[in-house]
Amino acid sequence: MKKLKPAAYALLPLAVAMAQPAAAQDTKELKVGVASEATSIDPHFHNVGQNNALRRHIFESLIATDANQKLLPALAESWKAVDDTTWEIKLRPDVKFSNGEAFTARDYVYTMCRVPLVENSPSSFTVFTRGIESIETPDPLTIRVKTATPQPLFPNNMTTLGILSAAVFGAGDVKYGKDGCENMGTPPKSSDFNDPAKAVGTGPFKLKEYTRGTHIILEANEGYWGEKPVWQRVVMRPITSAGPRVAALLAGDVDMIENPPIQDFDKIKGAGFTLVEGLSNRIIYIHLDQFEDKTPGVKGTDKNPFKDVRVREALSKAINREAIVERIMGGVAQAAGELLPYPLFGTTKDAKPVAYDPEASKKLLAEAGYPNGFELTIGTPNDRYINDEKVAQAVAQMFTRVGIKTNIDAMTASTFFSRRNKHEFSAYLAGWGADSGEMSNSLNALVVTPNKDTGGGHTNRGRYSNAEVDALVMEAQRTIDDAKREELLQKASKIAMDDYALLPLHFEVTPWAFKKTLSYTPRVDQYTLVTEVKPAQ
Amino acid sequence: MSEQAATPAPAAAARPTDKGESLLLRHVAAFFESPLAVIGLAGLVVLVILALAASFIAPQNPYDLAQLDIMDGTLPPGSESLAGYTYWLGTDEQGRDLLSAILYGLRISLGVGAISVVIACAVGASVGVIAAYAGGRIDNFVMRVVDLQLSFPAILVALVLLAVFGRGVDKVIIALVIVQWAYYARTVRGSALVERRRDYIEAARCLALPKNRIVFRHLLPNCLPPLIVVATVQVAHAIALESTLSFLGVGVPVTEPSLGMLIAKGYDYLLSGKYWISTFPGIALVAAIVAINLVGDRLRDVLNPRLSR
Repeated sequence: MKKLKPAAYALLPLAVAMAQPAAAQDTKELKVGVASEATSIDPHFHNVGQNNALRRHIFESLIATDANQKLLPALAESWKAVDDTTWEIKLRPDVKFSNGEAFTARDYVYTMCRVPLVENSPSSFTVFTRGIESIETPDPLTIRVKTATPQPLFPNNMTTLGILSAAVFGAGDVKYGKDGCENMGTPPKSSDFNDPAKAVGTGPFKLKEYTRGTHIILEANEGYWGEKPVWQRVVMRPITSAGPRVAALLAGDVDMIENPPIQDFDKIKGAGFTLVEGLSNRIIYIHLDQFEDKTPGVKGTDKNPFKDVRVREALSKAINREAIVERIMGGVAQAAGELLPYPLFGTTKDAKPVAYDPEASKKLLAEAGYPNGFELTIGTPNDRYINDEKVAQAVAQMFTRVGIKTNIDAMTASTFFSRRNKHEFSAYLAGWGADSGEMSNSLNALVVTPNKDTGGGHTNRGRYSNAEVDALVMEAQRTIDDAKREELLQKASKIAMDDYALLPLHFEVTPWAFKKTLSYTPRVDQYTLVTEVKPAQ
Repeated sequence: MSEQAATPAPAAAARPTDKGESLLLRHVAAFFESPLAVIGLAGLVVLVILALAASFIAPQNPYDLAQLDIMDGTLPPGSESLAGYTYWLGTDEQGRDLLSAILYGLRISLGVGAISVVIACAVGASVGVIAAYAGGRIDNFVMRVVDLQLSFPAILVALVLLAVFGRGVDKVIIALVIVQWAYYARTVRGSALVERRRDYIEAARCLALPKNRIVFRHLLPNCLPPLIVVATVQVAHAIALESTLSFLGVGVPVTEPSLGMLIAKGYDYLLSGKYWISTFPGIALVAAIVAINLVGDRLRDVLNPRLSR
């Protein structure tokens, strides 16, 4: 920020007062204070929440998701599995890119070819294209995709990939090849998209201006095929610290903010703003080392106590999840009994959180041979999840009450994740957001036996292993039939939870705050989509 | 502190012009002439007693997680706990009684301040006095190291060190010692350079006393007055630095909050009107630092020969 002279400070309130629009919400401009800035305009650069949210405004995907992550037709009118390894997609006719070019199957092929060509991607989208064997385009509005193995999540994968215009980058008649495509022209670099002339998609908005660290300005796409956007112009300002973000909202600098801190809810409501909260697909959990025979963070016993299911059950019963939700999260969370909140795909309605029962917990510990408990250190990040360090402390408090003297090792997220990945913690607190919004994602990440070749259990750093769960998840990942697949996932989830594979704590709830004249429906994926911000009725 | 203050007296007796006992008494009397200093000293004594007696007078052991109840979290001052006693200063978000946490926090803050200063003082004074006595290349080398050290902001060095060491009271002390020893080395060298030209050192040399005896028994005790002044002020600095580090989240473990960490915890709640979590530890911290500084200022006036009447 530039330094202002004292005299300028004196004028500031006046300037703010003059800039205030009339009470009724006009629909010319919307200013949003976002909590984290997109790392690139390139829709395929970095698979992370803020980028994916921004991408949806400019580059649409074949299939969209609603607030509960149910699939909706977007650029694809319909899709079906012809057989176990073939998907057929019918494209929407008469769709135009923001530069006036028509959208056809060629643009889809071009996009699938371009995703693996992105350089230096911190978190790549190739996981969504890797299984594609071949793509055929019998006519400009029909696509047939063959996959190497059955891919029931193919439609979900298609919700993550924004479609580029082949013509903008000088591509010819693109042919898909698994090991490289033909007639690709000059594939763009990620930084090319900073130029609004190159950032061409079919979305409801087009990029007007991008100044890193300051703002992203979007403008309504007049030729949009769907419902016309309400806002003519949208300014997204990254304000990464929570305090200044709230202050910007209260001062009228922005109309809406992401993620106001729980502590400030009363103040925001008191100042006449609306707060909405929505359950997210992010679970906060504690994972326990169930692999080593002697685990580094446990003292007072020679064994690894977490290999005993009775100890894991005792720990789960020692946690008062409702108290954490009420006291630490200010009621803005939901106690968890599974890895995803009901009614997302693969969840069970009666999967209730494990009840708080310290007496039963002590008894189980005594049965398992630890009547005097042991000493434990829990690793936790202190700047990654909402109140993460405070939640870990509350859990430590509860463990200590049943006789397990618990310490907290709190650190910044980058240190935490690198130490966790080296298995330095016997117990750690972390979170997992299932971006596909269905159970196979969560189970595969957190519970399935770690296996480098299949990519299974990639975030299962407690190294829990249960052949039955592995088999069920594996089968589900091959099953195209939705009903059957859901049943398999429900079963796998129940087995893992009954075995206390990890200790679920709560689902994060995402809050938004905005002017009384606006309305917004909370989303499970935590995205802020301007298209869904409407003037209040 | 009083023990250290007493040590220069016998050594000073070596000087022909001074009468040992009367010098100390004169200094003590001069100290008590300032009412502000007396208030500071009284406040400091009270705080030290409170800190030392924390485990006996605090209603709760805030570091024993089994005694905390999360259901008592963020209660305002004067609220009653589920177990029936009163939280006179309220609780933090973990249900920690703030009165108890402040008493224990004072113990950490004063303890870390005192211990780090004593160690840094010992290290710095030894290095300084040796450099001054040896002179030449050794002196040059040591003083360039000191210059280098002093050219970095203390907080920056401490942050880097703690990022490497990890959290813990012992590690904070180590970091503070590393950050502070240079001040003492410089101070002691300054006065030792003056003292070593005096007659009593010459006399000691003529008696062929061993070097280490001359340095540590004759030279060092006579350099103590400025050192005491610097040390007193540095205790306050050390406490402030420890609080800063804890506030930034790299100091003490989260389950054993010091004053700085309590203030940091409350910072999250300041906008929402839960003032007590930050305010009371803040008052305690300010009181401790002001008291030490009042005492330190007066000591400087008393021990500075240029200001003596």
